[in-house]
Amino acid sequence: MMHSLIQLSIAVLLLPLLSFVVLIFFNRRLPRMGDFVGVGLVGTAFACALTIFWQVVVQHYDPAFRVAWEFTWLDFGNVPGVGPLQVKMGIVIDNLTAIMLAMVTLISTLVHLYSTGYMQGDPKYGRFFAYLGIFTFSMIGIVLSDNLFSIYMFWELVGLSSYLLIGFYFYKDSAADAQKKAFLTNRIGDIGMWLGILILYSQFHTFGYREIFENIAAGKFNMSNGWLTAAGILLFMGCVGKSAQFPLHVWLPDAMEGPTPVSALIHAATMVAAGVYFVARIFVLLTPDALHVIAFIGAFTAFMSATIAITQHDIKRVLAYSTVSQLGYMVLGLGVGSYSAALFHLLTHAFFKACLFLGSGAIIHAMHHEQDMRWMGGLYKKMPWTFVTFSIATLALAGLPLTSGFLSKDAILAGALGFAQVEGGGIYYLVPAFGFAAAVMTAFYMGRQVWLVFFGESRTHLKPAEEHGHDAHAAHGHDDHGHEDHGHHEVHEVPWNMRLPLVILATLSVFIVFSPDPLDGGKGWFMHLVQTPATVVASTEAAHEAASLHAPEAGKLLAEAHTDNQHVEAAATHQTEGHGPVYADPRQAEIAHMTHANHFPAIQLSSLMLVIGIGMAFIVYVFRIIDPDKTAHSIRPLYLYSFNKWYWDEIYDATFIKGSMLISKILAWFDANIVDGIVNGIATIFRKFAFANGGFDKYVVDGLVNFTAFTVQTTGAVFRKIQTGKVQTYLLMVVVAVLAYFAFYIAQLIK
Amino acid sequence: MLTEQLLSIGLNHFLTISAILFGLGMFAVMTRKNAIVILMGVELILNAANINFLTFSKYNGGMEGVMFALFVIVLAAAEAAVALAIVINIFKTFKTVDVSRVDTMKE
Repeated sequence: MMHSLIQLSIAVLLLPLLSFVVLIFFNRRLPRMGDFVGVGLVGTAFACALTIFWQVVVQHYDPAFRVAWEFTWLDFGNVPGVGPLQVKMGIVIDNLTAIMLAMVTLISTLVHLYSTGYMQGDPKYGRFFAYLGIFTFSMIGIVLSDNLFSIYMFWELVGLSSYLLIGFYFYKDSAADAQKKAFLTNRIGDIGMWLGILILYSQFHTFGYREIFENIAAGKFNMSNGWLTAAGILLFMGCVGKSAQFPLHVWLPDAMEGPTPVSALIHAATMVAAGVYFVARIFVLLTPDALHVIAFIGAFTAFMSATIAITQHDIKRVLAYSTVSQLGYMVLGLGVGSYSAALFHLLTHAFFKACLFLGSGAIIHAMHHEQDMRWMGGLYKKMPWTFVTFSIATLALAGLPLTSGFLSKDAILAGALGFAQVEGGGIYYLVPAFGFAAAVMTAFYMGRQVWLVFFGESRTHLKPAEEHGHDAHAAHGHDDHGHEDHGHHEVHEVPWNMRLPLVILATLSVFIVFSPDPLDGGKGWFMHLVQTPATVVASTEAAHEAASLHAPEAGKLLAEAHTDNQHVEAAATHQTEGHGPVYADPRQAEIAHMTHANHFPAIQLSSLMLVIGIGMAFIVYVFRIIDPDKTAHSIRPLYLYSFNKWYWDEIYDATFIKGSMLISKILAWFDANIVDGIVNGIATIFRKFAFANGGFDKYVVDGLVNFTAFTVQTTGAVFRKIQTGKVQTYLLMVVVAVLAYFAFYIAQLIK
Repeated sequence: MLTEQLLSIGLNHFLTISAILFGLGMFAVMTRKNAIVILMGVELILNAANINFLTFSKYNGGMEGVMFALFVIVLAAAEAAVALAIVINIFKTFKTVDVSRVDTMKE
């Protein structure tokens, strides 16, 4: 008997798929191109997910809650050389799943609703909802998966739906290029992920998370620990691709070519968070080495993309780089061991970033597809709803106290500080340093964005005419929403179906939703329910190290063990105080303890960063004490470096793309000359052979046939002479024959 | 004398007569062009055969030869009737009874 939660979750999974199937086939036959089907079915899925959320989070409220169900999907029996090969599918519902389900379906529903306004009049309106349906289905699949195999399948499905939605305006070259770039970049990460899955499968012959973790914990990983680290980093590569971490971050800003609701749903709130979610799922098998790599990649990504976001002009590109930066925070959080904080940030970020994207969509919609912030300005009076919700989300992103973003970001930064202290400082301080630097810049660029978009005078008329014409034609020609009659420059507030999602999402960006204490997310329900799981590798590694203990290292290890003990004690006392989970691994306990100790320093530091960032934004854009253009001019190389996105696209173009072009050319030459040469050579041989064969046929076989015919003809010609038709000739022949016979007979007698 | 001579007529004489008759018939069949004459030659050949039958029958003492001779006579009558009918038909078709000009059988 299936658990009722499992049945509900299957409904949540299949309803969006149903929406996809109905809309992809029948959207043109349904009234309103079937948008109500999409909104209705996904809304129903949200209702189911909310029921799950209610039962799991509110009623049970148990950190260890877990319901699982699985069945054998494919059974290949005993495969020679592999052993028993079974592929199982299953669903696991724990607190994280329940929360993610509610979040994904909620944002999906809101985006569906929003799209009924934003996409109105698009010729492929119905198809858009179909794509949203398949995306929601695959994202829910990722969330529900209980094994690496099915998550990989849904992972690729998500990649596909992202590809379809980025290229929704595929007749624009830029969109077509962006969709290819996103797909290919993701493939690079997915290859790594697949290799990681294969390493684990080769050891344990199972894909299930739980079986793999139990096997590792039981010490059944037969290869060296380096392989486990490699498996962890390879699996993390999937996240690097999907969550747009350095060095595969380049696709996400380009993905902004897709319609804005898509950017909100896929490229801000859900799909890019899938990478973080996946790393969280496999968190317990990550070795300390792998976690260090993850922490540094996250920190660097957070810092780098924040520097890029400062100088971008396109409203969506700023948000895109901001998303990359925030995803960097989450990855950083996982890397430093602040598991719950990272996932908390995933959740809060999903709401406020979706709000920001939908808000920017409202602005773009109202501005008739103007995306360049330089030509906006003064919108706060004309679009009050958008302005208020956008501002709340901005403050949450910047990390102002009283917002949700503050709670989660602070938890991550405290974790980063604790991590640096536990690891012994030095280079490890780079991680929190990058984190805080990114916090300053986040506050700055968001302040800049809000000011440029909503305040000051309208600068629509400042736009250079030729550029305007070009952009306007490109945009209006392609996604004309039928607003021409409003006049070209008149800006108006968006309709209710676009405002409602904004209001809901802005409401969910306030601290009270997540924690009663505006300064401490640790007191909230999320941190209580989603707790760092006990790692399965640290103990085995300690055993390995102890086994291969070298003399010079002994003292250091002893010292470490000593401090470990201290911290374990500290954590234990901490435990008796009433909050905080039990840790199997001393290192985790230590980081958790240090994180707690760093809570207030982190709050102070990040508030300081916020003040600095927003203050800078005010100084530059509001009071104009520092002229941004002059500054940009005086530090032109730096400005250009940031404006051109650290030249990553150019670097990749010069190395990988040129490189693969070169390889392609070499291969093409090889193909054209060697392979084709071989083929043509073989063809020539066959032709010659066929020619010889033909000759044989023509002269020998045909010759025989013709010779037979000739013989028969000649014989016939001879015998025809005898056939005179005259009776007497025949008679003569009879007589001659009889006489000949007699002659012969007599000759015989005589003899 | 005459009876003696007559009594001395033996097998060889009959066979000689038969052979001469056959030779004449054969000659007629092979040299004449008139279909009627050819038929007459055929009759001669048949009669030569009859003489042979009767001769051997007499000298062998059985009745088989006589029986065959009777059959041959009947057969000759039938043959003559059929052959004459054919000749008439040939004449109707070719307006001639000259067998050298009736050579369409070679086609």
